[in-house]
Order: sequence, then structure tokens, then C-alpha cells
Amino acid sequence: MLTTLALTLALTTVSVPAQDHDHEGHDHGQSHDHGSEHAGHHDGHGEKTKKHPPIAKTEAIEKALKAGGKPVVADVLGVVCDFCAKAMNKTFGRRDDVSAVYVDLDTKTLNLVLKPESKLSDPEIEKLVKKAGYRIASIRRGEEALQGSGA
Amino acid sequence: MRVIVASILLSLAATAANARPVSYQGGWTLIEETDRQSTSLWTHYTVDPALSLGLRIEWDRQMDFVFAGGQATFLGKRWFGENYQANIYPVLGLGHAEGIDDREGLSGLAGFAGVLADWETRRLFVSYRNRVLDAGELGDQFMQAARVGWAPYEGDTGDLHTWLMIEVDHRPQNDEPVGITPLVRFFKGAALFEAGWSITDDQPLINFTYRF
Repeated sequence: MLTTLALTLALTTVSVPAQDHDHEGHDHGQSHDHGSEHAGHHDGHGEKTKKHPPIAKTEAIEKALKAGGKPVVADVLGVVCDFCAKAMNKTFGRRDDVSAVYVDLDTKTLNLVLKPESKLSDPEIEKLVKKAGYRIASIRRGEEALQGSGA
Repeated sequence: MRVIVASILLSLAATAANARPVSYQGGWTLIEETDRQSTSLWTHYTVDPALSLGLRIEWDRQMDFVFAGGQATFLGKRWFGENYQANIYPVLGLGHAEGIDDREGLSGLAGFAGVLADWETRRLFVSYRNRVLDAGELGDQFMQAARVGWAPYEGDTGDLHTWLMIEVDHRPQNDEPVGITPLVRFFKGAALFEAGWSITDDQPLINFTYRF
């Protein structure tokens, strides 16, 4: 029985790294940093990207924007359920530099309003999303986050 | 002994299993699972996005023993896609098993190892899990189960999500080695509840998960 236990464990722990992703059919590997490279209208592979939705208009987000907050919208890979949303809501909701957070399952986006003085960078947002167990595909800020982009 | 264990588990079960055994860093999860074999209650803390550590109590009604111990769940690998997520979770547990009812007086060190794997979109769900348990003089046990699910609609964040599922489990040591359990899953916010019925053994399936 112990042999079986060891075999079971061995067969299932060979798969490292823990997280990988396949975005639009391209396996970028573990170390690829999407950052905000998708922020424009092309995905870095010469292909036109799909339409990026504007920031979600929840009551908390609108209130935070009116107070001068800075909008950020991030496309997140693997967001399929409310547990995903909960993870990111908790991770970003407890930060002092975030005024509002909402994860939209329909658009698969993380919607943030940062406090005016916030210096939260794209790499830091990516790191926080990773801590929540997910992966960023692209990040948009400012007018692009407010209006959306793409055809 | 059985009455005490049943009282503890059932009273906590009233507050609902198989979804995301590793949470976000710093997150706690409470899980209750009841199927045709056993009732278990466990809670875990996610130390890192790839590791959760928890405590588990499991009352095996078929083999008449109670296991209490620690459980470590690893995120072995996660695949992300724009519309899907897939995961493999190796699981390890170590603790103490004690016989009840006809097996009272038997006890010893117990350990288990297993794997959970799932693939999920917002409309489709497939999972597989297995476990090998060595409970010393109380015996060995192997189980495996596969599940498929379909969501009749896509709910947005915070909506009530509904899934129709069917689980087939294989437990070679049982009188009925293969069990079939249709179930329904309800999912809202941080809570997940599943209710089903084993048409093989006429036993309920009741699972609850709460994340905080």
C-alpha cells in the first residue's frame, strides 16, 4: 500500500510549475510576462485583439471614480466562477490604495479604482492576481479603461 | 463514539465540496462532504497559491472508523485559458484512525494520498479524484470518482449559479463497488452547496463549501 501511495504522489507532482496558461491557443510558458503588452489593439502576435470592455459600472466603482480615483481594467485568464471573483475581491479589497474592486465573470475582467495617490503598478497588480491564483492577460488604464477599446 | 462524531459533524454540516481545494493566499475554507461512504469536515488555510494546509475529521460509515488528522493540498499545475481553467491537485494526509461500532478497540496511524483534477468552463465541468488510504490494522482503502456537470445558464458575479451533475465512484472494497450519484450544485458568492442521491446505495450526498 505504501508503494501505491508513493507512486500516486510521484505521478502527480511531476508537473511543475504550478501555473501555466494557454491564451488564445498560444502557450506562452511560465515566465512570459503579459504585463500591459495587450493594452493596445494588437496582441503582440500581429493579430487584432477582440473588443476590450470598459470598466464595470458598479455603484462603488462610480463613486470611487467621482472621487478622483484612477480606473484600471485587467483581463484575467481562468475566471470561471464566483470563487475566482471572491479570491480577487479579497486580495484587492483589503488594500488601502484600492477604493473599489469588482470582478466581472461575463467579461472576465478585474475592475479596479485606485486612490488618486496610489502607485500600484501593472507588475504589482499582476503579482497580486497571481497570489489570488490567477493570471493577467492585459491591463488598461485611464481613458482606455473608461471607454474600452477594440473593434 | 459514533453518536458523538455524528453530532459534531451533523451540527456543523448545517452551516455545505469539491471546488478549488486551494484558495487565494491567506484565505480560509470550510468544507463538509457527505457521500455514500463517509462524512467529513475539514478546514484549510491557503499558505501560498499552490499550497493549503488543513485539519480533517472523517467518519467512514462503511468501514466503521473515524480519521482525524492534517491534510496538505498542493496545486500541482493550473492551466489558464480565456474561457477555462484546469487544475491538478495532489493531496496528502496523515493522522489517527480509530475504529467504532464493531471495530471499536482498533486504532492506529493512518495516512492517505490522492489526486484531484478538474477542468471547468462557465457551462461545463469535468473532474476526477482518487485516494489511497492506509489505516493500519483498520485496513486499506482505494476510491476513485469522476464527475461531469453542465450549467443550464451562465450567471454573472454574485448570481446564483446552478449546475446539474452526475458522479460515478468506484470503491473496490464495497459490496456495491460502483456508485452513481446525480446531484445539483448551487453556487453563490463564497458558498457552494451540493445535494444528490446515490441511486446505488440510497444514500444522500450533501456537500458544503464556504470560503472566507
